[in-house]
Amino acid sequence: MTSASHTVSRRRRFSRVNDVWPWLCAASVALSLLMLGALLTLLLVRGLGHFWPATLEEVTLDSGETFAGQAVREVALPQRAGDERLYFTGNQDIEGVRWRWVAIDDIAESAQPDDLIRLDRSPWGDFIGRLVAIEQHDQRWEGDAAWQRLNALLVLPASQRQDSQLLLTTVDGQTLRQPLASVASAQAPNAMSVWQKTLAWGDAVWRFLSEGPRAANTDGGVWPAIFGTVLMVILMSVMVTPFGVLAAIYLNEIAHQGRLTRLVRIGVRNLAGVPSIVYGVFGLGVFVYGIGGSLDEWFFSDTLPSPTFGTGGLLWASLTLALLTLPVVIVATEEGLARIPEAQREGAVALGATRLEMLTRIVLPMAAPAMLTGVILAVARAAGEVAPLMLVGVAKLAPQMPIDGEFPYLHLERKFMHLGYHLFDTAFHGEDVQAAIPLVYATALLLVLIVLVLNLTAIFLRHYLRRQRGNEC
Amino acid sequence: MTLPRLTSSRQPIRLLQDRMATGLITAGGIGVLLAILAIGVFLVWETLPLLAIGDTLALAKLSPLAWGTLKAALAALLFAIPVAMGAAIYSALFMSARLRSRIKPALEMMEAIPGVVVGFIAGLILAPWVERHLASALVLIIWLPLSAALAGLLWQRAKTRLRRHLPLSWAGLWLVPWLAVMVALALWLAPWMEQQWFDGDLRQLLDQRYGMDYATRNALIVGLAMGFAVIPSIYSLAEDALADVPASLIEGAQAMGASRWQALWKVALVAAGPGIFSAIMIGAGRAVGETMIVLMASGNTALFSASPFEGMRSMAAAIAIELPEASPGGQTYHLLILAALVLFIFTFLVNTLAEVVRQRLRRRFRQMGGTL
Amino acid sequence: MLASLHSANTSQAPVAHFSSEHSCLSIDHFSLAYAGKEALCELTLSVPRHRVTAFIGPSGCGKSTLLRAINRLHDLNESVTHSGQITLEGQDIHDPQMNVTELRRRVGMVFQTPNPFPMSIYENVAFGLRLQQRMPKRKRDDIIEWALTSAALWDEVKDRLHRSAWQLSGGQQQRLVIARTLAIQPDVLLLDEPASALDPISTLKIEELIRNLKSELTLILVTHNMQQAARVSDYTAFLHQGELVEYGPTDQVFTNPRLQRTENYITGRIT
Repeated sequence: MTSASHTVSRRRRFSRVNDVWPWLCAASVALSLLMLGALLTLLLVRGLGHFWPATLEEVTLDSGETFAGQAVREVALPQRAGDERLYFTGNQDIEGVRWRWVAIDDIAESAQPDDLIRLDRSPWGDFIGRLVAIEQHDQRWEGDAAWQRLNALLVLPASQRQDSQLLLTTVDGQTLRQPLASVASAQAPNAMSVWQKTLAWGDAVWRFLSEGPRAANTDGGVWPAIFGTVLMVILMSVMVTPFGVLAAIYLNEIAHQGRLTRLVRIGVRNLAGVPSIVYGVFGLGVFVYGIGGSLDEWFFSDTLPSPTFGTGGLLWASLTLALLTLPVVIVATEEGLARIPEAQREGAVALGATRLEMLTRIVLPMAAPAMLTGVILAVARAAGEVAPLMLVGVAKLAPQMPIDGEFPYLHLERKFMHLGYHLFDTAFHGEDVQAAIPLVYATALLLVLIVLVLNLTAIFLRHYLRRQRGNEC
Repeated sequence: MTLPRLTSSRQPIRLLQDRMATGLITAGGIGVLLAILAIGVFLVWETLPLLAIGDTLALAKLSPLAWGTLKAALAALLFAIPVAMGAAIYSALFMSARLRSRIKPALEMMEAIPGVVVGFIAGLILAPWVERHLASALVLIIWLPLSAALAGLLWQRAKTRLRRHLPLSWAGLWLVPWLAVMVALALWLAPWMEQQWFDGDLRQLLDQRYGMDYATRNALIVGLAMGFAVIPSIYSLAEDALADVPASLIEGAQAMGASRWQALWKVALVAAGPGIFSAIMIGAGRAVGETMIVLMASGNTALFSASPFEGMRSMAAAIAIELPEASPGGQTYHLLILAALVLFIFTFLVNTLAEVVRQRLRRRFRQMGGTL
Repeated sequence: MLASLHSANTSQAPVAHFSSEHSCLSIDHFSLAYAGKEALCELTLSVPRHRVTAFIGPSGCGKSTLLRAINRLHDLNESVTHSGQITLEGQDIHDPQMNVTELRRRVGMVFQTPNPFPMSIYENVAFGLRLQQRMPKRKRDDIIEWALTSAALWDEVKDRLHRSAWQLSGGQQQRLVIARTLAIQPDVLLLDEPASALDPISTLKIEELIRNLKSELTLILVTHNMQQAARVSDYTAFLHQGELVEYGPTDQVFTNPRLQRTENYITGRIT
């Protein structure tokens, strides 16, 4: 009796230990979701938060020194107890640096006066301090009048305010004459209402999306990178769609369905798993050095040794990515073709249609959504891919856009900017990474949003397709 | 009603069109397939000149890279396999169907996040944080599974009503806030534990007692970041394999008195074994070839070191950095192309193996599903 | 009309022979194999014009295979080999001179499950017409109305010609498929168990349609439903394991079969 109850209790304890496993498994799902959520939240908060007009502080230290800046973050002090705080102080032309670490214990007083302003200037970056006066020819405005005059002038294009000068002073009393032509915007964030801040935020986001980078990528926007990415992806889709569809039709409708076709199919499927960098190597060796080099010798020999097509460029980049995404399109299209019931094909053929007529009038229209799914997935993959582009044609800062008013308008040989590479370059090769990080967050958010939206579109399209197919049976 | 007879005047044109189109599609299709094949041919062709140089130099240059590649892939798999497998088992066998139809696409979305974004977060945000809070990071790694087990034990002791509101089949979702709270708790307690057990500074302790250097961007960071990127591919394929196991098999085992977990362990995991194997293979292929994450999170130092706190340089990263500068036809150029060839062959073989295993498994299940 | 009916001397299979003016389609020692496995063996029979001929037999006996062979649908499958002859109005259908798309226009086919295309009712019927010939819309509309009327569907769909064909009921879909085939004015209409997926009322409608259509063309009906064969057909061929067992006027085959195997099947002893 006792031994029996003993085994029962042991078994129960054993099963209780066993029952922990499902919880560990459930926690894996939860952990994955948590990581994904944390990543997206981080990007959203930091990427969008950067554009919110930040409060400026006027800080007085125990030593009596004063400075003004925006508090960025706090970390523990390395040697003693307590934290230190990082301030963005701007004024690189006066101080020589833009950042300042201060131990919190050393701060005697910190205030947020309404008259602190922040100027966004084209050389030297941000200025943080006070506006004393504004001078135009022999006229002079001071105080509130100066601030109103400044805002009125900033509406004008830069070329029409050449003759104005700002008289500025930092919080520790140094003065500065600033030509108004080099000022992009001015803010007094401490005096702004929430609504004004929202407007300023929207304006900043818009400028980020529509302007080119400034100050060694630490300021300004990403418009050329968006443009380059989109243009490259469009060129790539134009190349990959017909060839991918052609190969899929051949494999599924025309080729003899034997062992060889099955092997080829597995091979194509596996090419989707080959590292993208390998495609980059192929693009560099064959497209850039091989074909591009030959093109230069034949048609552009007068500009040699400086290469025209024999270096990375828009054309080679899109070709390489087209090759990279070919398996994606082939696999998706084949899946769509295989889903079409044989009865539809036979119905068309029994009415006297040739194979071409059957394909173009019945099969391809039915497979179109699947092809579209494939192309969207290909675009999503290409938009996020950076490694092969490092080999075949992106530029840190492309001086010329690949499309302009000059014949032949679309310059396939030019280098271009790419969101993903711009992100990598700014984050790792910039001069002032600290200053660039907020913009890198914003760029990363933009890239992730583009890729996720494309993927979601593909998922919904596929889901919709499956449901539709399901109803019809 | 009399109808005009249909004429067949268009017949010759239609047939000609058909023949031309068939020819065109065949030519195009075969052309595309050959272009794909050309990748392999090109890589082999460009590595042929290396045969003249001899293999010692190639070995000396490539072996640290190979080691770095393996180390990074291993670190990633160490993190990814348990998480991805756990998630796959849970969502295939325990999760409610409604939740599953939402969670699976969400997790597969992880795969779409560009490597360059993951690399940026890992290299510039995570790496400095872990450097400053090494003890907290290590505590977290141990604490998270424990807290999941704790949740399970608490749940079994909980009232029936609570259990009905928080069922196991939805645990994947409601454990998220629980884990978040646990993470916060661990981070709050970690400095105290570090003070108590590691004399206040774990990094210093490691350095003094074991002579371990700590690089900001190291294998631990790469493992976490690349693991994050690899989890979805392993999860997705392993989940498919497990969900394809005929329900009759699992029910049969349960009918013989096995608990849910034993049934799973003995029957489902064994039956889906080849599919899980192929999922892990594909994950390994992805980890070996991933470029941007390693490039941004590893420090890019070509070292022979097994320490998880030191950096490495992988083949893919070396290609990305060095190949644009290497002069075409030079020795470095050929060596880097050899590295690309190795990557190509490795991933291609691994993927083919995985695909063949997967197809065979699927056929077997279809037969079983038919007969059972 | 029935010129002679006697057993062929080469095999024991009974064969109905019609004089060439009454025979529309004749099959002569026709064999067919899938990847070496024989499915039809030395079949010989001829099908009378403007009559309904039924092929009956247990499943797997080759009746559908024979039907598909008449339409040369096996062309799509490379593993199929055949020998012997099938002639349509005196023309060998496997003759290299014979244009397969023209053959399929002349020999229409309706399948077991309705397979309307994913387009409007109008476009479904116009599909074959558009392939064959360019014609003014007025003329095309006339032909489409005629085809739908012939298939006894016009009254049900005339107000929704441009709605999707997939919204029709199963029976309507099958009649639409018949109308689609009639529109290209075939000489022969092959029906492969056209009512097996339909409810009894739709089945009756299809049967009535088949009886009405024989004034226009020659029909061949494959069915596993013997009552249906008895109700609809004028002649019946019984196939078993790829061979033609008995062929003759339907009344005779059903009421007074000459062979034991036929009787066994009709009375339900072979299924």
